[in-house]
Amino acid sequence: MSDTLVEVSDLVAHYGDTLVLDRVSCEVRRGEIFLIIGGSGCGKTTLLKHMTGLLSPTSGAIRFSGRDITQMDEDQLAEMQREIGIAFQSSGLINSLTVGDNVALPLREYGQASERLIDAMVRLKLSLVGMASAQHLMPSELSGGMRKRAGLARAIALDPPIVFFDEPSAGLDPIMASGLDDLILDLRKLLGITFVIVTHELDSIRKVADRILMLDRGNVIFIGTLSEAETSSVERTRQFFERRADEFITQRNV
Amino acid sequence: MTEHRLECPPSLDQETGRALLDQAHRLHPAKGDVLLLDFSNTGSMDSRGGAWMVAIAQELAHRHAELRWEGHQGEVANFIDLIEPGLETAETKHHREEGILEEIGGRAYKYAGEFWEFFNLVIDAIYWTIVGPLEGRGFRWGLWIDEVYEMGVRAVRINFLMNFLLGLIIAMLSAAQIAKFGLGIYVADAIIIGFTRELAAIMTAIVVSARTGAAITAELATMKVQEEIDALRGMGLNVAQFLIAPKILALLIVMPCLVALGMIAGILGGAVWGILAIGIRPENWFHETLLAASQGDIIQGMLKALCFAIMIVLVGCHNGLRVTGGSRGVGLMTTRAVVMDIFFIIVIDIIFATVVYYILDSSMTF
Repeated sequence: MSDTLVEVSDLVAHYGDTLVLDRVSCEVRRGEIFLIIGGSGCGKTTLLKHMTGLLSPTSGAIRFSGRDITQMDEDQLAEMQREIGIAFQSSGLINSLTVGDNVALPLREYGQASERLIDAMVRLKLSLVGMASAQHLMPSELSGGMRKRAGLARAIALDPPIVFFDEPSAGLDPIMASGLDDLILDLRKLLGITFVIVTHELDSIRKVADRILMLDRGNVIFIGTLSEAETSSVERTRQFFERRADEFITQRNV
Repeated sequence: MTEHRLECPPSLDQETGRALLDQAHRLHPAKGDVLLLDFSNTGSMDSRGGAWMVAIAQELAHRHAELRWEGHQGEVANFIDLIEPGLETAETKHHREEGILEEIGGRAYKYAGEFWEFFNLVIDAIYWTIVGPLEGRGFRWGLWIDEVYEMGVRAVRINFLMNFLLGLIIAMLSAAQIAKFGLGIYVADAIIIGFTRELAAIMTAIVVSARTGAAITAELATMKVQEEIDALRGMGLNVAQFLIAPKILALLIVMPCLVALGMIAGILGGAVWGILAIGIRPENWFHETLLAASQGDIIQGMLKALCFAIMIVLVGCHNGLRVTGGSRGVGLMTTRAVVMDIFFIIVIDIIFATVVYYILDSSMTF
């Protein structure tokens, strides 16, 4: 089995006329925690959405287990998406369903299991993210951290080999954010899940990263390990890890 | 190029800043001119004074002139350093004027894109409502029942009331004319023909578009904004199968029922006026109503109901899925969906009228 789970080659993406990703290439290896980092608006989430087939690129290829998802038809793409888990920045929980039903949703659709087994699996997945007691709550009754964990429970419902996580720490207090980082490390250890995580939280990056890809204005400016990133010769990367501001930071992204 | 010079006051604040802008304005700087602000005597400056300075920079940029400053020191210099990017980017955005052909082409491209999206949605909806379930690819019956209850059962009272009142109004208006000739009984004919052919279907469609159509758009738009649609797609679920097909089938069942109820309500509304105000005996009124009733008219109303049902769901879903931005986008798309619904209700009605009265050349006979 190949060591590479996801391979992105020369990915170019636009929003309208605006170039968002410019010839991005990278690979995600099995079992690693791969971080996509960069400043706000640099294209991190866009890259993640392309890697999961939620957006179609202008050009380039994205291979998942060797299959190019940009060449797949709708049914093939849906089949591929069943093999991955996605946890969204705003959790993406269906607000009209309970937390338990949200986690059960992919199990009911594809799990081919009895209701009793599905119920047990929902409890198991919620237990893994520390939310066993929230099964019957509605998403609107959850705090931000609980929503993220419930979203993660749904993402791992079908035991996918890889989970894409958009901004796990955003909007969370440091204790909750750290707890979520621990959870990611535990899930990798327990279930062998590969994680692709979009973030710009330095503490989280230092805690969980195996390898890092850094984007700046849609371009890859660094790929490597955490220690390589912290001693990188790339000025923008060093600036990021030293948490140094631009001279006029607010004007940079205008 | 002319250099204009303005001496800044000792304290640049809301009042003095405004006065400075007025002075700059009176200089009428032309293209290529330079306005030099002298801060030598200025010892303090607040954010409102700074804002007036940005306004001066904007004014000059608009006239293609340049703002410079000198003599700033101490806190004033620090403040100007801080707002300098605002002064540099003060140039108002110049939109290139589009030619008429460019504008027409741009709009045509935009609407063609929207039409293509709508077309794809229609194909998806047809597949997942009819073909998909027949191929054993599943249909969400649980959600369908919820939708039938929400779209149908909960709309019964308002739909009955609206049609009843409309029947009453039509009877009032008709009677005011016809009763003068002693032909008040024929108001019953006008009511049943009007309601079975047109009014029940249209009034019900308006009620449903305002209630259900708006709700569908708001629901889908909110789901899109909150990444729920992405989450469904990310799980390999088809949005048309999961959300749209149950709504279409639910409204296809519910709408004819509501229109039938609307017909009854409208006839009752007319009867109330005919019996109580015109003074026609109930048995005569209902006998005349039944005489004028036509199966063809009822079928015509029901066929319209089915077309309205499909249109309301598709327009609602289309607008909901096209939302961009946050809560404002949800509101805008919801408004757009209801406006489009009302427009298409009229369009569908015109098509029916043309087909039935001109192409088939008579009222429908079945």
